[in-house]
Amino acid sequence: MNKIIIDNEKSLLVTSDGNLSFKTDESSKFLNVQNLNVKISSDTDLIIECTGNGDIKFDIYINVLEGVKANIYELKKDAVYKSQYKYYLEKDSYLNVQRVISSTSINDMTIINLNGDNAKVDYNLKTVCKSFEKYNYLVYHNARKTSSNIINNGVNILEGELEFNVSSFVPNDIKKCYVNQESRIINMTDNLCIIKPNLFIDEEDVIASHSALIGTFSSFEIFYLMSRGISKKESDRLLTKGFLMKGISYHKDDLKEIIDKYWR
Amino acid sequence: MNTLKIQNLTVEVEGKIILKDFNLEIKSGEIHAIMGPNGTGKSTLTKVIMGDPNYKISDGEIYFNDILINNMPVNERANLGIFLGMQMPLAIEGVTNADFLRSAMRAKNGDKFKLLPFVKKVDELTKMLHMNSDMLNRGVNDGFSGGERKKNEILQMYLLEPSVVLLDEIDSGLDVDSLKIVGESVMNYYKDKAPAVLLVTHYQRLLDYIKPDFIHIMNGGKIVKSGDSSLALEVEKKGYDKVIKEAKDE
Repeated sequence: MNKIIIDNEKSLLVTSDGNLSFKTDESSKFLNVQNLNVKISSDTDLIIECTGNGDIKFDIYINVLEGVKANIYELKKDAVYKSQYKYYLEKDSYLNVQRVISSTSINDMTIINLNGDNAKVDYNLKTVCKSFEKYNYLVYHNARKTSSNIINNGVNILEGELEFNVSSFVPNDIKKCYVNQESRIINMTDNLCIIKPNLFIDEEDVIASHSALIGTFSSFEIFYLMSRGISKKESDRLLTKGFLMKGISYHKDDLKEIIDKYWR
Repeated sequence: MNTLKIQNLTVEVEGKIILKDFNLEIKSGEIHAIMGPNGTGKSTLTKVIMGDPNYKISDGEIYFNDILINNMPVNERANLGIFLGMQMPLAIEGVTNADFLRSAMRAKNGDKFKLLPFVKKVDELTKMLHMNSDMLNRGVNDGFSGGERKKNEILQMYLLEPSVVLLDEIDSGLDVDSLKIVGESVMNYYKDKAPAVLLVTHYQRLLDYIKPDFIHIMNGGKIVKSGDSSLALEVEKKGYDKVIKEAKDE
């Protein structure tokens, strides 16, 4: 188990099991962007926790070496974030990313490079959006039999404006890839939310799918819960909890705390 | 003594009238069974009593103990003691039965809710209904068979202890063993709590276990014939078309 803490000023590897290397350097003092390099060389878990006030800007490069299985559990709270994630997955590697977010504001770019045959990524993002949050993804299938499963779930509340832009690329001759995108926003405001699901596929021998949904919880679900005496507010809380907790195994208590904060 | 009274009720969905000038009164300790062909408004009736916002009452009244409930929110009706066992209970992914039932019991009991007796009670009920004991940790009806979903409805009825029980085709999708368990459980609850029961069914087979005091045949959004339990046997023998035609001719 490894843990990186990121705040306004610095990034620190506070716990390490020796299965990854970690390097930081400041790419631009003028822009105040932190640069983090992580190389994962053996099966391991990495926890990333970001918290603080004001602006936090960082670029993180994560390299998962051949045959390695890694889990990354991220928790982002409070601050205004501008961050870029670049993942490089080598042959037969597997990366499971779970992100739990309750920030002031986010502008986020994630680039996933599936560079080796059989590389696979499962990606799961959960956010409670209260102001402006924009997530951009570029998922490159650069090798055969690679697999990407990108799931984004957000609940938009208060002054929230939430946007997911997901683009997956499979070039010609990169055969037998699996590409999936699922994005869903529960919009509890009148504000604008956007999902742009893009599949750029130049190869026929591919399984690709996407779903994108912006709306409220189903009136049938609400009716069912309320028919057992549960108030509308508590029904919303239960459905939000169910929606956001699904697929999250690590920062569950933090996510529950975030949900309770806004739905109690 | 509780009374559910429906007076001159007219209900529409998207401009189409489903119930027309419907009247019925059910008192504690009475079991009323509503039968009739598909599309006559039987399920609509139960949903309207429960307050489903997809149905619009254009005329008439629904009273619970002289309280007009036409515009009462769904959860408040439930907290008055009205329970609807649904024909196709929804699966709600991600929301565990434990969270769902706890919230329902908290809504009913407020600060008096105690976790340990609740868990014990659920454990007893899952055994009684031949359900898997791990159901508490699963999503609401998620991955449940048709039979498990119906049993889950009955489990909720036992937990919430309603005084008015509406059961919409609680027998559909049940195998013979599950039908017996569900039917007997409803009847045991009735014997213990003496609620007012409104039962919607197509088939006589459920009435082998649940013994109604009154049978009503619905057609075109209203009751066209009422009688005792022998009416269900008559329907079984003659079919709805003939019974309805005879009722119109009378």
